[in-house]
Amino acid sequence: MTAIPRNTVVPTNLAQPYTHHDSRYYLGLALRYALLILIGLVLFTPFILAGLGTFKTDAEIISYPPKFLPQNWLWQNWVRVWNTDIGSGGTFPRWLFNTAFLSVTVAVLQVLFSSMAAYSFARLNFPGKNAVFNFMLATMMIPAAVTLIPAYVLMTKLHLINSWFSLILPASVGAGSIFLLTQFFRAIPKDLEEAARMDGASHLSTFSNVILPLARPALLTVFILQFQGMWNAFLQPLLYMNSPDKYVLNVALSIFQQQYKAAWNLTLVGAMFNAIPVLILFFIFSRYYIEGVAYTGVKG
Amino acid sequence: MQAERPVSASRSSGMLGALVTFFVVLVVIMVIALLNAPTMGGPRVMNSLQTYLIEVRRTAIPFLVIVGAAAIALGAVAATAVYRVWPNRRNRQDMFTAYAFLAPYLLVSLTFTVGVILFALYISFNSYDIFTPPQWIGLNNYRRAFEGFTNSSQRDFLQSLYNVFWYTLIVVPLQTSIAIGLAVLLNIPNRFRQFFRTVFYAPSVTSSVVITLIFIWLYLKNGYINFFLANLIGFFGGDFKTINFLGDPRGLIQLFVEAFGGRIPSTQWYLRGPSIAWMAIMFQNIFTTAPTFMIMFLAALQDINPTLYEAASIDGATGWKKFTSITLPLLRPIILLVIVLGTIGTLQVFDQVYLATQGGPLNTSLTPVYMVFREALGTMGPINMGYASALAFILAIIIFFFTYIQRTVLDRGTELY
Repeated sequence: MTAIPRNTVVPTNLAQPYTHHDSRYYLGLALRYALLILIGLVLFTPFILAGLGTFKTDAEIISYPPKFLPQNWLWQNWVRVWNTDIGSGGTFPRWLFNTAFLSVTVAVLQVLFSSMAAYSFARLNFPGKNAVFNFMLATMMIPAAVTLIPAYVLMTKLHLINSWFSLILPASVGAGSIFLLTQFFRAIPKDLEEAARMDGASHLSTFSNVILPLARPALLTVFILQFQGMWNAFLQPLLYMNSPDKYVLNVALSIFQQQYKAAWNLTLVGAMFNAIPVLILFFIFSRYYIEGVAYTGVKG
Repeated sequence: MQAERPVSASRSSGMLGALVTFFVVLVVIMVIALLNAPTMGGPRVMNSLQTYLIEVRRTAIPFLVIVGAAAIALGAVAATAVYRVWPNRRNRQDMFTAYAFLAPYLLVSLTFTVGVILFALYISFNSYDIFTPPQWIGLNNYRRAFEGFTNSSQRDFLQSLYNVFWYTLIVVPLQTSIAIGLAVLLNIPNRFRQFFRTVFYAPSVTSSVVITLIFIWLYLKNGYINFFLANLIGFFGGDFKTINFLGDPRGLIQLFVEAFGGRIPSTQWYLRGPSIAWMAIMFQNIFTTAPTFMIMFLAALQDINPTLYEAASIDGATGWKKFTSITLPLLRPIILLVIVLGTIGTLQVFDQVYLATQGGPLNTSLTPVYMVFREALGTMGPINMGYASALAFILAIIIFFFTYIQRTVLDRGTELY
């Protein structure tokens, strides 16, 4: 894991001051930027095509050769999907709400519990610390496939199938988040807390009044990564939630696609509804996202 | 240990603390164990606490005895720890705060990781369908997984392993090298770097369901990818026949052999290589994971001291030389990490398979995790939790094995630098 605190500012402009910039240099630079723009376009092409596809008619979407732009822009597709009702409370706004509710809850719990655990690891000395920390690192290695079946049996036994707890409980803590926050807390200078402790502050108040405010960027990173992780989760919601009013968007989408096999324009609208909130969040907080991924290699 | 601790007064209170700790640990672990105890009666035993306890007494005594012994041992360890730190007020405070802060994590993770894994290990030796009591069948589930060696009609699991090995073999090197390439290309002055980084990474934040659905649509017989290939090949004067990407079972090696007039019969499926459908899923996977790993490489590139490059330029090194003798060696730890993470991820591919192919065509995109899912839910045949757990354990062992090999092989290289 890369855990080097990167506080030092390293000049990243690799152009050397003594080099004479001839025309070949600028040609190379232009080529590089052209390549970057091209790659960016290629990476976005599926989304652009899908986005345009959402406005096409049922016939247009599967006609060959495919046209780039829709003949006339059918905004009704979005309305049609929004008004989907598959019975037993399975409506589109409901699924959107379910997904958002779950993601926010899980992210909040993760921030709370992980920062508590990280404070213990980073600031307190207690017997068993190394054992617990190593245990945590070991659990990061366990493939999710192994816990899938017994967790499902456990949920069935506890009557938690179709209950939000089945998704929230196991996801409320995460070794990845604790690891990230521990690294961050360790990099915070101890002077402030020492002063607070001298004044007789308890661990709880040092934690909530000194550490948490200083760690706001890291907490935000954990929040965002976990939000995205839950928003994008598929296998667990598919297993645990089987009544239509409890579906999350991902599960609803997969059922959508199986039901409207040919109506790709509608399925794509669903996909866009799913992608747009995360994309907006990403563009607002891209820095925190990227820091989190860069530090831990854990995506959600 | 502080030498000057006041002995007489603290010994007795240390004893008390130790005893309390011992019982707390014991009770907590036993409660967790009770919740995880393998009951055989299915959901209805949860009707009341009483029926549940009767059920537990009837079926789970050996399990509880083992856990109980472990709990006593853990309790003893905890009690010793408490006994040692008790006399010092500050140490005592630290320890209680620490475990109080760790409690949510430990409770959840002991239940949903350790507890359920023990349970999975237990049912992997049983025939179990949730509704009727588990039947102890010893190693039969594990034996059944490898029955395909002798009986080719039972080859599903072997074929799923074969598929993911190809998957890992192709996806991991490609996504790693593409990620390095993108990162090096992106290592440009700050303002533009952030912009392009955001743009490149954006597609990867959306869910795999969304990406897979979009790609299923693009891969359609009358979809954009066929259209693009037809135009590209048509431009060079070639003749292109549209491919049903996600439904084409022809293997890569098979295509080569057939191009030279040979044939590989279906009994020798293991010679056919990854199918077109499977490679289509690989392509989509690389498309979404390469930018993620690019972010990690980019962060590592920022840590490389630029004076190294300046020194190399003065010595007359060219761009490629600088890349191979400065960049790559310094990136080595991250490369290792990316390869390990990539292997762990690719060996467990599920979402794409579930949505795009359901394991088909002709099982050429079947994966172990998809089989675990299939057996556990009984989407093809009866529910078989025991068999599913056995498959999951075999997969876990394979993943650990590969991770270990990669670490030893690649770590040895790292020591040189």
